[in-house]
Amino acid sequence: MGTISLQSVSKTYGGARAVVALDNVDFEVAEGEFVALLGPSGCGKSTLLNLVAGFEPLSEGKLLFDNQPVARPGPDRGVVFQEASLLPWLNVWENVVFGPKVQKIARSDYELRAREILRIVGLEQFHEALPVQLSGGMRQRVGIARALVMEPRALLMDEPFGALDAQTRLSMQALLLEVWQNLKTTVLFVTHDIDEAILLADRICVMTARPGRITRTIPISLRRPRSIDDLTTADFIRFKAMIMAEMRGSGH
Amino acid sequence: MAAAGISGANPSLQGFLRSRVGKGLLALILPLAALFLWQASGTNGAVAGGALPTPDRVWKAWLVWAFDKPGPMTLSPYVGNWMEAIAFSAMRVAKGFGLAVLVGVPLGILIGWSRLAASMVDPTIQWLRPVPITAWLPISIAIFGISDFGAVFLITIGAFYPIVINTTQGARDVDKNWIRAALMMGANQWDILRRVVLPAALPSIFTGLRIGLGIGWTAVIVSEMVAVKSGLGYVLWDAYYVGRMDIVIADMVSIGLFGFLSDWAIVHLEHWVLKWRRMQNFNQ
Repeated sequence: MGTISLQSVSKTYGGARAVVALDNVDFEVAEGEFVALLGPSGCGKSTLLNLVAGFEPLSEGKLLFDNQPVARPGPDRGVVFQEASLLPWLNVWENVVFGPKVQKIARSDYELRAREILRIVGLEQFHEALPVQLSGGMRQRVGIARALVMEPRALLMDEPFGALDAQTRLSMQALLLEVWQNLKTTVLFVTHDIDEAILLADRICVMTARPGRITRTIPISLRRPRSIDDLTTADFIRFKAMIMAEMRGSGH
Repeated sequence: MAAAGISGANPSLQGFLRSRVGKGLLALILPLAALFLWQASGTNGAVAGGALPTPDRVWKAWLVWAFDKPGPMTLSPYVGNWMEAIAFSAMRVAKGFGLAVLVGVPLGILIGWSRLAASMVDPTIQWLRPVPITAWLPISIAIFGISDFGAVFLITIGAFYPIVINTTQGARDVDKNWIRAALMMGANQWDILRRVVLPAALPSIFTGLRIGLGIGWTAVIVSEMVAVKSGLGYVLWDAYYVGRMDIVIADMVSIGLFGFLSDWAIVHLEHWVLKWRRMQNFNQ
């Protein structure tokens, strides 16, 4: 449940001058695994996530989610967007239950879970608030909650904390570690932040740009459960030094 | 900022001019000055060599038009039936505008959302749009005769274009990630249109409604002058023929007043419906 498999996947954006965003990528994510895609902007890491989400069609190759070809977006793959992308005319509660509602699930079947998830992400006092009344971090908590409420088999997170200040980012990372520790959902996490990738992931796939490729895969063997205290351990620093060397080496 | 320019260095006066009452008083300066000049330039209740009445005579004519009861010997048609004229015109505007909204908003959403609909319908709308509502008058009379629906038809046509065009624009400009988020949560096309595209387009739709309603008032006056025998437009033209310029002017002021009031109503509806938008602008 929640396995992702890319076989020789390429993605080319058409137009007068075609741009190869992904070039012949092979990539697997196992059930319950937390994988980070790490790379500079323009390396195709968000494109890869969009393909898995079903937002864009692939140009070549095969993309399977739980052994089924991906054809369209769906609630089995919960996406957390960079800027949360909440619907600004709906309040927190309405944003979170939008999914179950359009899927015509009976209110009694999702109400308790939605309340529980909003409590976990620390927003139980904010059901009635509009997104514009929330801080960036709180908005992203809603973004995570609305994905989790659908009980997706995989979470696809596209630089979800990239727009937040350092302090808020740390608390969001701590929250995500805690939530994931309990759910063990498959997570595909796109980031350009090395610390974030090491802290969260079981495995980091380093990507390079033009054309977008995965150049190296690094398993992160730090013990779980992790917390933001791990950011300063010797093991952590060793991984960081290794990845920085890797990225310098491939960065021409 | 203009207030700062007028009041110079006096901060308390500046504050007053920015208050609600201060703004209201500022708004009255121009009309009151015009009224005063108009009244002062007249002799024996007439200006421009007797072509126009002075404001006091317009006021008296309006009082009779609005409040007097016609007796058995009354010959003037402008006694006690002001409200009736307003009601005729306002009802036509309401019907024509309502029809334009019913057709224009769904069509605009469709054109903005579907490339197929855009290619099929949009060019026709763009070709027909430059035809002014006055040019539709002969066709309207030929089809509907001198009837209520002729006026409603013209108002609908006039209000339709700004509504459909602004709605289209709003539906086209929807944030791509809102649609992606909705799809990801399992929304079908109908959910997307109703729960994402329509609310996201509402700010543009309201712009279209305001412009459309303004054109609706123009259209009702034009069509009543020609194609119907009641309402403010009919009275305007009829009063001109019998030389009652006092009624003509009272009629014009009434049109302005009710056009303004209906616009005010839409703005307040917008304020209420788009609460999220207002807060967004405030926070930025």
